[in-house]
Amino acid sequence: MEATPDSSSKCSCRVIEFLESSIGKKIMVALTGLLLCGFLITHLAGNMFLFVGPAAFNHYAEFLESQALLPLAEAGLFLLFLIHIALSVKARFANAAARPVGYQVSEDKGARTPGSRTMAVSGSLILLFLIVHVGTIKYHLGGLRGDTLFAHVTGWFSNPLYAGFYVLAMIGLGLHLSHGVQSSFQTLGLNHRRYTPLIKGVGLAFAAIVALLFASMPIYFLFFGGAK
Amino acid sequence: MTMNTEKSGGMNLTLKVWRQKGPEDRGGLVEYKVTGVSPDQSFLEMLDVLNEQLVARGEEAISFDSDCREGICGMCDLVIDGQAHGPDKGATTCQLHMRRYKDGDVVTVEPFRAKAFPVVKDLVVDRSAFDRIQAAGGFVSVNTGNACDANNILVPHDRAEKAMDAAACIGCGACVAACPNASAMLFVAAKVSQYALMPQGQPEREKRVLAMREAMDDEGFGHCTNEYECEAACPKEIKVSNIARLNREYLRATLLSE
Amino acid sequence: MKLDSKIPTGPIEKSWDKARFELKLVNPANKRKFKVLVVGTGLAGSSAAASLAELGYQVEVFCMQDSPRRAHSIAAQGGINAAKNYPNDGDSVWRLFYDTVKGGDFRSREQNVYRLAQVSNNIIDQCAAQGVPFAREYGGTLSNRSFGGAQVSRTFYARGQTGQQLLLGAYSALMRQVGANAIKMHTRREMLDLVVVDGAARGIVVRNLITGAVEKYAGDAVLLCTGGYGNVFYLSTNANSCNVTAAWRAHKRGAAFANPCYTQIHPTCIPVSGEHQSKLTLMSESLRNDGRVWVSKKKGDTRSPDQIPEDERDYYLERKYPAFGNLVPRDIASRAAKQMTDDGRGAKGTLSVYLDFQDAIKRIGEDKVREKYGNLFDMYHHITDENPYKVPMRIYPAVHYTMGGLWVDYNLMTTIPGLFCLGEANFSDHGANRLGASALMQGLADGYFVIPYTLGGYLAGSKLPKVGTDHAQFAAVEADVKARTAKLLSEKGKASPQELHRKLGHIMWDDVGMGRTAKGLKDALQRIPALREEFWKTVAVTGSGDEFNQTLERAGRVADFMEFGELLAKDALTREESCGGHFREEHQTPDGEAKRDDEKFCHVAAWEYKGEGKEPERHVEPLTFDNVHIAQRNYA
Ligand SMILES: Cc1cc2nc3c(=O)[nH]c(=O)nc-3n(C[C@H](O)[C@H](O)[C@H](O)COP(=O)(O)OP(=O)(O)OC[C@H]3O[C@@H](n4cnc5c(N)ncnc54)[C@H](O)[C@@H]3O)c2cc1C
Ligand code: HEM
Ligand code: HEM
Ligand code: SF4
Ligand code: F3S
Ligand code: FES
Repeated sequence: MEATPDSSSKCSCRVIEFLESSIGKKIMVALTGLLLCGFLITHLAGNMFLFVGPAAFNHYAEFLESQALLPLAEAGLFLLFLIHIALSVKARFANAAARPVGYQVSEDKGARTPGSRTMAVSGSLILLFLIVHVGTIKYHLGGLRGDTLFAHVTGWFSNPLYAGFYVLAMIGLGLHLSHGVQSSFQTLGLNHRRYTPLIKGVGLAFAAIVALLFASMPIYFLFFGGAK
Repeated sequence: MTMNTEKSGGMNLTLKVWRQKGPEDRGGLVEYKVTGVSPDQSFLEMLDVLNEQLVARGEEAISFDSDCREGICGMCDLVIDGQAHGPDKGATTCQLHMRRYKDGDVVTVEPFRAKAFPVVKDLVVDRSAFDRIQAAGGFVSVNTGNACDANNILVPHDRAEKAMDAAACIGCGACVAACPNASAMLFVAAKVSQYALMPQGQPEREKRVLAMREAMDDEGFGHCTNEYECEAACPKEIKVSNIARLNREYLRATLLSE
Repeated sequence: MKLDSKIPTGPIEKSWDKARFELKLVNPANKRKFKVLVVGTGLAGSSAAASLAELGYQVEVFCMQDSPRRAHSIAAQGGINAAKNYPNDGDSVWRLFYDTVKGGDFRSREQNVYRLAQVSNNIIDQCAAQGVPFAREYGGTLSNRSFGGAQVSRTFYARGQTGQQLLLGAYSALMRQVGANAIKMHTRREMLDLVVVDGAARGIVVRNLITGAVEKYAGDAVLLCTGGYGNVFYLSTNANSCNVTAAWRAHKRGAAFANPCYTQIHPTCIPVSGEHQSKLTLMSESLRNDGRVWVSKKKGDTRSPDQIPEDERDYYLERKYPAFGNLVPRDIASRAAKQMTDDGRGAKGTLSVYLDFQDAIKRIGEDKVREKYGNLFDMYHHITDENPYKVPMRIYPAVHYTMGGLWVDYNLMTTIPGLFCLGEANFSDHGANRLGASALMQGLADGYFVIPYTLGGYLAGSKLPKVGTDHAQFAAVEADVKARTAKLLSEKGKASPQELHRKLGHIMWDDVGMGRTAKGLKDALQRIPALREEFWKTVAVTGSGDEFNQTLERAGRVADFMEFGELLAKDALTREESCGGHFREEHQTPDGEAKRDDEKFCHVAAWEYKGEGKEPERHVEPLTFDNVHIAQRNYA
């Protein structure tokens, strides 16, 4: 009986210790990041129905809406974003504090990539995108652009500013993932002489494909919108 | 590589050196002209010559650390034109030669920068944080006299080689200096890996990584965001695969240890 | 001064057991009442400090670098000997003992060397258990190689970084005790003096190199593990900070200095490239297995090596020593190179000789050569900017190791009770010449397996009154230290300490280096005091004493070298024979070999300091050889 509270407190203590530790924090960012990549895949697949046609897309949307577990999934997704953002921002601040006085001349030895350099910027851009995206598409801020979801979405995409912002955000997403995917494998300890080059390649391809396909939607509907 | 073919000619360089009287002083770059530099000189010998001239003029010499001058003690530690240990790959500052430079070059020399490595004076920093991390768990607990015959512990050749790759770390701190986040992960990973790879390290495997991680964070080093600059700057070319191993070991220890 | 070596009597195989049995033991509960000050964190210091803390003593440790891991032991490349006989090739404790006595040219104590060979196996066990990544066979057992001309493979190694790995092992043991609060570690402290109270060493005075503060520490015993004095020659393979200061200060407080003239010169170093040179880099001797050493037959030949046809080359080692050829021992190879350059036949007229791999490349192919020596070739290429696959390497001898040091008895205690000396800093085990891979062995033997017993014997056997840093003697020594610092700072000359050090080095190298003559030594004994005077008149030390001040540090060390160099020359002059690393040109065989004089010089010379400006007194500890038959070396 005595042991129970003791060991449970030890257990929660360990979780906190893990989350506060530099490595634990990064492992959580990596895990949530990879899960978000999973969301991106399904989201991308679903949105590809836009190219099939209004009926298909609307049908897909209705199908999603009808799922009883949707609110739960949405809550989970929200939590993923929250953990990912909270911990990565925390890490960012700690990293800035780790070098209070910087270099007068700073030159790397060629290991950094455009993606790795810009993780905070690209992440912030994605966050901004999410606010605009979910705000306009889901919560109809800025009004309804059509009576079906298809019409609403493509209606927004016919706005050059809106579509342009999407494209910009997708460049950010691509950058974020170009570093993020292989980085999360490394953070999770998955590094192997044979597989790591493969992971790096696949990660880059993934980032490019996801960004291109997402970006193709606003571009397509901006120029060929309302064709149907 | 820029080569000065005229061996005896000697080049003239402009140095911009970080001078700082002490930890509290703000410090700043001071410009020096050095003349007649031989391409056969090492970078530190070039600084030696400058210092001799300064002392002869009654000015205070530039403080910088070095000892073995052959790339093994890990004492030398400059950031040269923004790069820890200068431009060469797999080399320490003391192994950098002036034939890397050409007449007229302007070279900026700064100390390693990290909160955990406070400046002592000029280019000298305090890296005792590394010792404290080591004291937290970078050892096998075996008292003198306790050992069994060495061949009772078998370490397969490839394992031993891998462990040696990690053990080659000279504790210079260039990984921290080069890391955009001032993270000490490569150093800690090298030590944790050496022991994790060898049978001798197994009894304290979980305890060690938990303790060393904690000590590392307590010192105020940054988080690793996998920039891999540490590996590129490491004079012993310690691989970042060790960092992955450290992450793995830490996760494993968190989940498994009592 | 009486030299009591406390060598155990009786059969040599039993002498260490006997000594250990006779040493008194400190009761486990009493150990924590004793405080031990350990100066130096090389192999000797780190291993001693860790072992003593494990036993329960209070230990405080000092080193000059920012971390104990940076002591110069870190630079040893080749390996460490032990009599394990794992390769089954006929090695034994007796053979290692025999080889070491013979290698030391019969100028070491048999019992010390025997003990060294005995504990050598425990060292390997201890280091392996610590996780030192020694080279391994595919089955997981330890690998060996043969080293330094030994006929058996008894050298254990960790790539080309054996010293580093052994030191990191000892350092990890040290840091473990630091983490457990059993050791207090003081980095960036330079020991500047020893405090002797009632005839026993009771403390040290150090300078905090960061703040400049002069600090006092009291203890029940002091262990000097401060390394060798090779830097008296200015250029050597030693690290910049290697010094004689701690040992010299102890000497001036009463510790006898033994055999200072025994210095080892390593034949395969990268030659000096100019006045700016700050240190010399050693390249493994293994290069001589496949490289051929030669110079031009003509004097002052400045042709590039590819312009010198085969019949105009003198492969002098092969010519003079047909049996051993390029593989003659270190001292012989070094001296021969000097003879060639003295004769004006150095490579392109410089102070260097060729080490040529063309024949090896022809014989076994460039790939095989690369496989064997790739990293050495790269290192050479990097430093000299010459490609040794195309152009023969240029090599020259350099000062590498010092066999002399503070005189210690069998228990490693100096002539000051309570002051012990371990590692390269003492004179104990190598006689007049050290064999390859034996210094690491000795440092760790002293620290792990000798001092833990002998220190206890001293502490248990002596009644030490309580002495703290408030004792008057501490104040007196502190005042001395401060006065010396103030004196250095008061000189407002124009010469940097480095420049004066370089001048000393020139004298030492020219007259007290490889080939010593009575005339040269006498000359040096004139020039060194003159230079010392110049030093005190012209040295420029900028900055102040109460701050981080590397110029001041350097000046202090050079000042001590200026005094010590004279003793070294004096010792070399009085030792009218050639032995091991000490070669007096007057004493050689017709074919140029070192000729010992066992009648007159089969002894240790231990010098006693008699005061400022007074002649030091030379004491003698006779050496006897009951187990190894004393004979002349012959490599022709
Ligand atoms: C390039 C090179 C290669 C070598 N290779 C081999 C080899 O392959 N095999 C082999 O057996 N041997 C080799 N040796 C010799 C061997 O490395 C050394 O003899 C041995 O390591 C010395 O160890 P030590 O503990 O006595 O001293 P060191 O390791 O020199 O340590 C000296 C310590 O004393 C401290 N110290 C010194 N003065 C003071 C002071 N005044 N105040 C406070 N602290 C002080 C220093 O900070 C340092 O911690 C080599 C030597 C060199 C130079
Ligand atoms: C550019 C092409 C994209 C299109 C056409 C698109 C379309 C949609 C649609 C139609 C919805 C459903 C709105 C609703 O439930 O009413 C939605 C929701 C969402 N989208 Fe997108 N999206 C795109 C890109 C992205 C990207 C790149 C991200 C992430 C970075 C993203 C994140 C989200 C999120 C988080 C939701 C809310 C999910 C929920 O709460 O149900 N979208 N998107
Ligand atoms: C769909 C959206 C997102 C995905 C798929 C994603 C994915 C990832 C991945 C895989 C990583 C690498 C983790 C690691 O290195 O171990 C990462 C890191 C990071 N993410 Fe995101 N992320 C997303 C959104 C965001 C957002 C909205 C922010 C908000 C500011 C953000 C900020 C960061 C930061 C700062 C890092 C850097 C930490 C690091 O480099 O390790 N991310 N992200
Ligand atoms: S990992 Fe490399 S850069 Fe970092 S301390 Fe070790 S040797 Fe230096
Ligand atoms: S550069 Fe820094 S971010 Fe990680 S991979 Fe190296 S520690
Ligand atoms: S001075 Fe020792 S590594 Fe550079």
